[in-house]
Amino acid sequence: MAHIPDGVLSWPVLAAGGVAAAAAVTLGVRALDEQRIPRVAIVAAAFFALSLFSIPLGPSSVHLLLGGLMGLILGAAIFPAVLAALLLQAVMFGFGGLTSIGVNTINIALPGAIAGMIFAPLVAQADVARAALYGGICAACAVLGTGLMVSFSLYASSPDFAASSRIVVFSYAPLLIVEALVTGFCVSFVKRVKPELLARARSA
Amino acid sequence: MRLVLSLVAGLLLSLTAFSPAEAHRLRVFATVEKGEVSGYAYFVGGARAKGASVVFRDRTDGELHCMSAGGDGAFRWRPDPPQTIKIVVDAGEGHVGTLVIDRSRFMGARAQTEQDADEATLADASLSPLSRDLIEKTVDEAVARHTRPLLEKFEAMETRTRFNDIMGGIGMIIGMAGAALWALSRRKGGAA
Repeated sequence: MAHIPDGVLSWPVLAAGGVAAAAAVTLGVRALDEQRIPRVAIVAAAFFALSLFSIPLGPSSVHLLLGGLMGLILGAAIFPAVLAALLLQAVMFGFGGLTSIGVNTINIALPGAIAGMIFAPLVAQADVARAALYGGICAACAVLGTGLMVSFSLYASSPDFAASSRIVVFSYAPLLIVEALVTGFCVSFVKRVKPELLARARSA
Repeated sequence: MRLVLSLVAGLLLSLTAFSPAEAHRLRVFATVEKGEVSGYAYFVGGARAKGASVVFRDRTDGELHCMSAGGDGAFRWRPDPPQTIKIVVDAGEGHVGTLVIDRSRFMGARAQTEQDADEATLADASLSPLSRDLIEKTVDEAVARHTRPLLEKFEAMETRTRFNDIMGGIGMIIGMAGAALWALSRRKGGAA
């Protein structure tokens, strides 16, 4: 659902998404240094692989987005990470599209970046249990944000997508729960073993 | 860094808990039998596009016929007259799949070769033209019927994301990071 293919969105939406993605990726790249680059690559690789696999659900299927987790660990560097993964998915597997890559990058990365920015300080200060809870809420917010942005992208492109736009938000509900659980688990694990990985995200 | 690697490895291992289902890309499968187009729309991984909108278009993108796919994503329609058609399936939420069926798929071997100057020499003198038509039609239908499962299998294999491809993608991301680090070190070296 977050991988909108070519030929669906209108040119103004594609152009706006492309410009916004270019600006955000530039911002993200500027935040990179030698220590952060390997981390970004590994998280991007995880997003690339995990979002290829989905579980059939009703008329469609869902797959992990990891927006919240990426936002917490990477901060602004989430934009180049998502762009690189989406680019490879589009070229190698035809998932998503090349013309819509800017919109898809923003739809997935922006909610993750914002949620990460809000929840990273809370996660850094909380104990393990609370950090997991905040991590789960962060992931749920990121998924909801992506759902709303995908919905808006479709609606802004054509009024024909009005019905789909309304349905798309509800279709994200199962993913919201799964993503919150996975992120909560990951955050509790990192918080217990290497908390500074989450604390550093604040400076991104 | 070791922690991030172990976390990623754990997440990747968790993938084995799922069937070989991949991201929800919509695909269309269709064959022609007895002049009728039949097929189904499905998401890569196997789930069928239930109740999706199916539009049959001509060469100029003009709408010929519109219908809703069944509960199993299946559709069936007979174009009249037979012509090149484009099947556009829209499952909503931006999931659109297309497939073009060429006119020759409707006509059978006989129609394709009727312009062939050598047809007369190929024809069996003991058969009337009507018998030849009937045999060719019957053979076409039988071949279409028997090759359909093979085509379905081929389609499923083609859309399956292969482990090697995923590993290749991961390798490319790590390679890009390596290139970025190299560029960064050169810039620092130049500045020093």
